[in-house]
Amino acid sequence: MAGFASCFGCQINITNIERYLLDVLGQIDMQYWQLTSSDPMPDDFDVCVIEGAITTSEAEKSARLLRDVADVVITIGACAKTAGIPGMASVDYRLRQGEVYGDDVPDVVSDTAYEPRAVKDVIKVDFEVPCCPADPYVFVEVLQKALRGSNAYVRTSTLCGECKQNERGCFYGRGILCLGMVTQSGCHAKCPNLGRPCSGCAGLSTDANLEVARRIASKSGIGAEAFDAAVTVFNQTDPRVGDPSI
Amino acid sequence: MLYRVIDASELPRLIEAFMAEYEVIAPVKSGRSFAFEVVESFDEIVLDYPTTLTSLKKFFLPPQETLFEYNVDDAEVTDYELTVKPRVLFGAHACDINALNNLRLVFDDPAYPDPYFEAHSSANMVVGISCSPTDTCFCHLLDSDEVRSGYDLFLQDLGDRYLVSIGSVQAANILEAACNPREATDEDRRAFRQRTRARQEAFDTSIPDIQEIPMLMDAFHSDPFWEELGGRCLSCTACSAVCPTCYCFDIVDVLDPSGKQGRRERRWDACTSPQFALVAGGHNFRDDGRDRVRHRMYHKLNGFNSKHGRYLCVGCGRCVRACKADISPIEVLKFFERKGAEEELASSSDTGKEERDA
Repeated sequence: MAGFASCFGCQINITNIERYLLDVLGQIDMQYWQLTSSDPMPDDFDVCVIEGAITTSEAEKSARLLRDVADVVITIGACAKTAGIPGMASVDYRLRQGEVYGDDVPDVVSDTAYEPRAVKDVIKVDFEVPCCPADPYVFVEVLQKALRGSNAYVRTSTLCGECKQNERGCFYGRGILCLGMVTQSGCHAKCPNLGRPCSGCAGLSTDANLEVARRIASKSGIGAEAFDAAVTVFNQTDPRVGDPSI
Repeated sequence: MLYRVIDASELPRLIEAFMAEYEVIAPVKSGRSFAFEVVESFDEIVLDYPTTLTSLKKFFLPPQETLFEYNVDDAEVTDYELTVKPRVLFGAHACDINALNNLRLVFDDPAYPDPYFEAHSSANMVVGISCSPTDTCFCHLLDSDEVRSGYDLFLQDLGDRYLVSIGSVQAANILEAACNPREATDEDRRAFRQRTRARQEAFDTSIPDIQEIPMLMDAFHSDPFWEELGGRCLSCTACSAVCPTCYCFDIVDVLDPSGKQGRRERRWDACTSPQFALVAGGHNFRDDGRDRVRHRMYHKLNGFNSKHGRYLCVGCGRCVRACKADISPIEVLKFFERKGAEEELASSSDTGKEERDA
């Protein structure tokens, strides 16, 4: 299990399922976990789990190495899936370095740091566990899928259908911005169920209808600009974001 | 059908009698809307609720349901014992009972009876109540504003009393024990006719009454309208989540965290979900919003008719409220109205031309 640019919260969150942790660990031979041990990376392993966005050429090199060795790569969390929070820095990235370091950008930064990228934009990814943080139960499901195969396919429908099952009503009728209508489903609309609109941490669905969603935001008085700004939080590096044709 | 009359003041006693033996599910206020939930007292129930966010479908076909369990190592399968608490689903509108009847046509098929559906269905008593149409109701256009079977009791509100249609002995006994039901009089029947007429006249007339909908669906199968309607689909599947008659499901195997035990689950699926028609080999038979939305409308307004002789859509209007992109059967009816107007215009100008030519 390896971590790149992230808060490491997804890895921590996995340890939060204490009740099942030994059951999960009983199925695997945990060889390497940066977060818990300084032991060096072994030469061989089957499954690699990656948290975090790729923000340096050094990280990219490590990711490629992990990919070369592992049969299966699973990413966990929004940062790995969409570049997430680190990805927000990708707008006018070169200016960001100056903003932080002034004229004295250290070589280690200017030589290696680059625009944050999702892991899948650097190496081939086999499975993704979305969300901020990644849901540990979904992680276990995906891990089992990697270990044993599965007849469940990944759905690209957006969130509102799952949200309706919670019977909490829609934020749009109340003039509140919610990103459920463009965000990948699968989380069972946890946040709306707790009274908070969706902030889109599962990432835009590949079938998101952004054009229509912007129209709906505009029609409901929220405004297309407010909608666009909200989408960038977890999807800044998605090529559809800021595309003037949408 | 047997009819009896009870005073409105007797209704709490009926509910209490149900509560003594059953879990009672009834419409309650939920945020800015209404939902069918377990109630503990009569006072929680909103008798004149307009509609609920989702339907009673979940009590017959839960969003997720275990079909059987299995052991991973030796692939031994254990039948799943489904025990459903006996329930009274109180306050169902006519459209929703018609919707349940449509589900029964599918799951109670004598050739392929569904034991899970049966377990829920036989545990559920259904008590209907009359209603007034909202601005999204169009049940009357799809023959679903009245219901003739599929309930244990149906209460027609006559103001200070209810005309009760009795559909089962079980419910009749409870009614008899809890209330003082009396024979319906001519005056009761008159009041019933007045109430029925008032309901029929209260529908929003801007929703067009279209004849021969199934035939028009076939006639305009390739119309650019479907591109326009389906092109704005958000692929969110809210329509089918709130629909009382969307019954499609997916089946998946789920392992417990140890990976030793598994269960086969069925979960609600939706034909508006992009992967619904994806098959082995990677081909997707309905790869875009146009095809998916059109397919959904066809099943609701055409396909189910061919097999079962009635519309699958019952005009409850939930999808009208749930779809932020304004996709609903009402839009299809409006499209047919526009087409009809265009054709009339074309034929009248043709007639004028013929007259001039003559």
